[in-house]
Amino acid sequence: MAESDASTTVFVERMPRRPLVWNNHSMAWISDRIAGIVENKAPRWWWISIAITSSFAGFGVFCIFYLLFTGVGVWGNNIPVAWAWGITNFVFWIGIGHAGTLISAILHLCRQKWRTSINRAAEAMTLFAVICAGIFPGIHVGRIWMAWFMAPVPNPNWIWPNFRSPLMWDVFAVSTYFTVSVLFWYLGLVPDLATMRDRAKGRVRRTVYWVLSFGWRGGNRQWRHYEMAYLVLAGISTPLVLSVHSTVSFDFATSVLPGWHTTIFPPYFVAGAIFGGFAMVLTLMLPARSLYKLHDVFTWDHIDVMCKLLLLTGSIVGYAYCMEFFVAFYGANPFERFAFLNRYFGPYWWASWTMFACNVVMPQLMWVRAFRRNWVTVFFVSMCANAGMWFERFVIFVISLHRDFLPSAWRMYSPTWVDAFTFIGTFGIFLTLFLLFIRFLPMVAMSEVKSVLPESDPHYHPPGAGGEETVKEVHA
Amino acid sequence: MKTVFRHPREVFTGKRYWRSLEELADTPQFRTWLEREFPSGAAEMELDGVSRRNFLRLMGASMALAGIGLSGCRRPEAYVVPYTKSVEWLIPGKAVLYTTSMPGPLGGLPLIATTYEGRPTKLEGNPLVPSSNGGTDLFAQAVVLDLYDPDRARTFLFNGTETTAQEFDHYLGTVRKELESGKGEGIGILLDEQFSPTRDRMLRSLKEQFPQIKFYSYEPVSFEERDSAITSLFGPDVAINPAFANADVIVSLDCDFLGTEQTLQGVRDFSRRRRVNGSTDAMNRLYAVENRFTTTGGMADHRFRCAASQIPAFAVQLAKKIAGSTNDRVLSGVVAELHDTGTQFDDAWLTECANDLVARKGRSLVLAGNRFPAWMHSVVLAMNNALDAFGSTLTLLSAPRVKVANLGDLVADAKSHALKKLFILSGNPVYTAPADLDWSGVQRSIPEVIRLGYHVDETSTVANWQVPEAHFLEAWGDQRAVDGTYLPIQPMILPLFGGLSEIDILSKLAALPNGVQAVRDTFKSLTKESDFESAWTKFLRNGYAEETVYETAKVELNPNALPELLKNAGPLPGPVMPSSIEVVFPADYKVYDGRYANNAWLQELPDPITKLTWDNAVLLSKSTAKALQVDDGDMVEISVGERKLQAPVMVAPGHADYSLSLSLGYGRWVIGRIGRETGFNAYQLRTTSAPYYATRATVKLIQKNGHQLVQTQNHYSMEGRALVREGTVEDYKKNPGFAKAVWMDAEIPPNISLYSHPPLNAPNQWAMSVDLNTCTGCSACVVACQAENNIPIVGKEQVHSSREMHWLRIDRYFASADGDKNNPHLEDDPEMVMEPMMCQHCENAPCETVCPVNATVHSEEGLNLMVYNRCIGTRYCSNNCPFKVRRFNFFNYNDRPILDRIDKGLPGFQGKSELYLGPLAPWGMAEISKMQKNPNVTVRTRGVMEKCTFCIQRIETAKIAQRVKAGVQGNLTLPTDSVQSACQQACPAEAIVFGDLKDPNSRVAHLRALPQNYHLLEYLNLQTRTAYLARIRNPNPKMPGAGRVGRINVDENGDQRHGLPHAEATTNGGNA
Repeated sequence: MAESDASTTVFVERMPRRPLVWNNHSMAWISDRIAGIVENKAPRWWWISIAITSSFAGFGVFCIFYLLFTGVGVWGNNIPVAWAWGITNFVFWIGIGHAGTLISAILHLCRQKWRTSINRAAEAMTLFAVICAGIFPGIHVGRIWMAWFMAPVPNPNWIWPNFRSPLMWDVFAVSTYFTVSVLFWYLGLVPDLATMRDRAKGRVRRTVYWVLSFGWRGGNRQWRHYEMAYLVLAGISTPLVLSVHSTVSFDFATSVLPGWHTTIFPPYFVAGAIFGGFAMVLTLMLPARSLYKLHDVFTWDHIDVMCKLLLLTGSIVGYAYCMEFFVAFYGANPFERFAFLNRYFGPYWWASWTMFACNVVMPQLMWVRAFRRNWVTVFFVSMCANAGMWFERFVIFVISLHRDFLPSAWRMYSPTWVDAFTFIGTFGIFLTLFLLFIRFLPMVAMSEVKSVLPESDPHYHPPGAGGEETVKEVHA
Repeated sequence: MKTVFRHPREVFTGKRYWRSLEELADTPQFRTWLEREFPSGAAEMELDGVSRRNFLRLMGASMALAGIGLSGCRRPEAYVVPYTKSVEWLIPGKAVLYTTSMPGPLGGLPLIATTYEGRPTKLEGNPLVPSSNGGTDLFAQAVVLDLYDPDRARTFLFNGTETTAQEFDHYLGTVRKELESGKGEGIGILLDEQFSPTRDRMLRSLKEQFPQIKFYSYEPVSFEERDSAITSLFGPDVAINPAFANADVIVSLDCDFLGTEQTLQGVRDFSRRRRVNGSTDAMNRLYAVENRFTTTGGMADHRFRCAASQIPAFAVQLAKKIAGSTNDRVLSGVVAELHDTGTQFDDAWLTECANDLVARKGRSLVLAGNRFPAWMHSVVLAMNNALDAFGSTLTLLSAPRVKVANLGDLVADAKSHALKKLFILSGNPVYTAPADLDWSGVQRSIPEVIRLGYHVDETSTVANWQVPEAHFLEAWGDQRAVDGTYLPIQPMILPLFGGLSEIDILSKLAALPNGVQAVRDTFKSLTKESDFESAWTKFLRNGYAEETVYETAKVELNPNALPELLKNAGPLPGPVMPSSIEVVFPADYKVYDGRYANNAWLQELPDPITKLTWDNAVLLSKSTAKALQVDDGDMVEISVGERKLQAPVMVAPGHADYSLSLSLGYGRWVIGRIGRETGFNAYQLRTTSAPYYATRATVKLIQKNGHQLVQTQNHYSMEGRALVREGTVEDYKKNPGFAKAVWMDAEIPPNISLYSHPPLNAPNQWAMSVDLNTCTGCSACVVACQAENNIPIVGKEQVHSSREMHWLRIDRYFASADGDKNNPHLEDDPEMVMEPMMCQHCENAPCETVCPVNATVHSEEGLNLMVYNRCIGTRYCSNNCPFKVRRFNFFNYNDRPILDRIDKGLPGFQGKSELYLGPLAPWGMAEISKMQKNPNVTVRTRGVMEKCTFCIQRIETAKIAQRVKAGVQGNLTLPTDSVQSACQQACPAEAIVFGDLKDPNSRVAHLRALPQNYHLLEYLNLQTRTAYLARIRNPNPKMPGAGRVGRINVDENGDQRHGLPHAEATTNGGNA
């Protein structure tokens, strides 16, 4: 890993790899810095932020109750566009919920040690995103009080759920994913919760962390079991990361609707989900990093790697867009052809071109190293990806539905304020949960970060002795 | 009789036990409390003025009035039968059917009413009547809703204050005395055009008793001009009916004989000559000349766009051509009398059209719109005379009528103060009278106006007496069908609000027996049978009296009367142009002349042509819109002379240039909740001299996008997809299966299904066939479906949000008949095709596999079932339905107020429907609206999906009936074609046929074996149970543009369209 750009860092090539934590911080520094976030008084910005986000969350919840008491009609949905923002938001949030488990599980199996700085926050983000996603299928149905019909429970009517329905597969895929993700996240938290318990000053605080840490002592046996369990869960989670969004895509791929009925959907959806998930991790971590001065833990190297992943997945998505178009042309099915022409040149052309620009064009900036290491461009591209991925779902669902087989049934769709505020409300819920998370739980996996410090290496030479120079970050 | 609960007397021996201090004190309050059936606060259905007791009383009464099944009314006297002991013949939940008929301006419509526990819920055509095939028109399907209109007049009003029926009865008594003393001097009665022998008998009796009494008649959409021409040329009491069964070539000069001027017999006979059942020899050919697309024009083989004011000139030129080739003396004389306008029409069109008529002399027919001036009717009659149409394609009937004066005479009498009292027994003249008459001023000037009105409307507000009118389902009466067949009007229920009928009032004035006795007396004079009682019973059971059709009139056209009529022709109006635009006032397809404006089903029904709901609009052609620089929804001001009207415009393909059409019947200002704020009042521009079209109008743009027009279908083009398939007689002769070789169907590989389905092995396999060759798009089926299946209305706002609930819709597409891209009128002069669209009951239904809770499943009989109780409303089925025929209850449309608006509140709510108030809005359906519901069909709640069920309730009823008949081991096979779906039953053109596919003798099995049968979207391997019969057109090969008729599946190069979208559709899709 040749490092030659002197403008950003000064680094002497004496070690085979750059350290993952910069500036030679000790283990104690890491504990202090990370646990300190939770232990110190909440900064003023935190209070302001949570006040804003919880207000949005509150209004979102109001919108949800309004919907439940009044009917799905308060949204803009209609016939033919029976699924609109609700399902768009569901798939959007589910997509975001991919990055965390991907970082924790797949990167763990691939021994990508850089994941340790971000996996905790990313996993938390995953859970909160899946919670937000889970809201929509629940509230979008006409009769939520009968939603238990989807559960395969014995009943006097002898009616079972329809296992041919991709929506049923969805129910199982998402609930499994959520359960495993919670377990995985919590398991990773246990050693850190023990640290928090040990550092806790107040009695209440100590008791809570004591309960939550399950009596973790950090003994050898415990570590051995812990690591095995973590590995097993990583193994279970890995296929789930790929399956959950594949299953979500089946909702569309197995239908007969032109624009939905394509075999390319599973890989395309998964790539898109990873793309969107990483963008959201970046969106959240860039401010958190500055606000809590975590530049040495969550370094430019991390950002750089994630930007490369954005570039990769964004390009896969772009390839999928083009391939869909090509197949529509090559397949000679007039309905397919129409669906794709209508997508880019029909009345909702602006949504499709926004999607294309945000998801395919903008990530191409990440080819340039300077852009990957400039927070303005990184933040901009990740925001583009967030918006673009929402538009992608809007494009697939609404545009395909609004003009299908019979031109007589073609209608336009427009959202209502309830649509908008429910969506904004889920952002409120998501951010509120995230703010609470960084307030009460260590947002970086301390134990794991410590394990990748040079000190953890038995062959480690302390700095200075070998004449190394300090790695310094120069903010661009 | 109300049973008052009497508390048993206490026996005062020994100790007295008491339960409360009130009882001990034995206060009067306590006594009333004790005697009340329900404690105070428990509502007795007071919401709608019909108390539970009253309701039961009415039901019992109507039961008593009626008889078992179709056996007629054995007990004409009204009894009040308590429901504590059920009426002997009544099985709750089981329908009882009665014959009746519906009055109409063209004659009565024979009907069968379905009643449940005394509530009529549905009207069907009476197939026993020889002139009927069991179909009905749109209005007959919708009119049952009027019976339960919560806004109908409920009380007697005298000068605006509530009074009683007794008061009015007393008043009628004084009028009678006045009549006797003055021989009817100063008393007038305003009526509508109707064919009721009892009414006529009473009028005659009144005239006999009181020679000075005056009768006037007014019908906003009148037949006066045609009738006066017929009277002049053929003598009085002659009616002329077209006999489409004999007509090979028909030319319609703006005569909407398949639409607003339809008779059911006409539609039936016309369609029978359209249907292709192996051979095309019997097929008729229709030429239509009209200014706007009508349902008739849509059925035409050749259609000529022509401004309405030019049609008289067109008729003259056609007459010239016919006169030239027939050398008919009378017609030549007519032609010589008339001046030419100089308006140039397509000469080849005229020549070939005339040649075709003459070539089929004796088998051809020319029809003119009823409201054209009498002189034009005389020209048309002369043309028909030259074509030997009389006696063959036109029947002359002797139909005696009572002589009545017209509205103009009434105004003159009022102005000369000759009228002291005016009875307005029908119509709504304050709203409908020509604008130049200042009718409301005239009405005010008459000292006393007694108005019998179904609603408190515009006319009631300037009348002294407003008397609630009884619905025709509430009163005795009679009608003559268009061919003269004598039909009964039987009451199904006592008047809900104590209303009176025309006959009630007339009989009181004439001191004749009322009610059933009145009809019996009339019947006595008509029947030829000796045993009156059995004839009467048979009459009521069959719903018509035999041998009562009008006699053929042995008259001939009197050429001497022609010059007198033709004198009125005057100079014909010059051609229309930007500076002299014409405005046409057609009767509306949905509200007719405004009488149905408070009918929610009709208001929400999409107009058959424009697909506009809850509104009317100024229709104009695209070229005219371009010239006037206006677009859909722009408000314009139309000025005709001094009269001005503001209304929104809407571009209508197929409309004549520089011609505007604004249908009548909207923009009423005193009306119930339904008709409020719907449309614009065309009557404001309509004068006595120009009742049908006004010329020399100017148009000014007032406001861009000034009005929200809501259509249920806003995409005109089929986008090259072969959804409606059509060909010509030639195509059919070459390849009868041409429809199967169209488009993708010609190329699809054999399909396989991923899923295995349970076998479809039940004894009955239900299927439907829709004949696109006979469907006019009249939409009677849509309302029939709504009435049968308890489908709610959703209101304009919800239709705008694309949430209408119709299970059956009629797709209307326009296709450019002219492939020539250089033709500037490419989009102005398209062909129009109709395609009824409902659940196709796919055997491989995409909706079924995706429902997570098994709420939509397949039956062994091939029905795609919808289980409302199981549905949780994911709407996935709708997404996966290729036909988008599933409907979702986005709100509780049945129990929440739809039409009431939120007047104050948060900014997001203001002006919206109270549906958006959610739980804060009032809850519950009005009691009176509940009475219309079909008890065999669930009323759906919010959050569930619904769709066409193939009328499963009717299937099950038939199966149960067969099972009962069969007994223990009997034969459970249903008789062939014993189940009719509601849409099929309503269709006068017999375009929809439902039945059992497994029964080789069934009509549906036969129709689906026809070569022109095809299925939609076959490449999806849906195996649809609904199939369509391709449309076959019968163009005259010599006509200009004949090569382009029936070629909508073919592109401009003569190739089949490949479904590639038009560039216009994809780039300029924003307007769709």
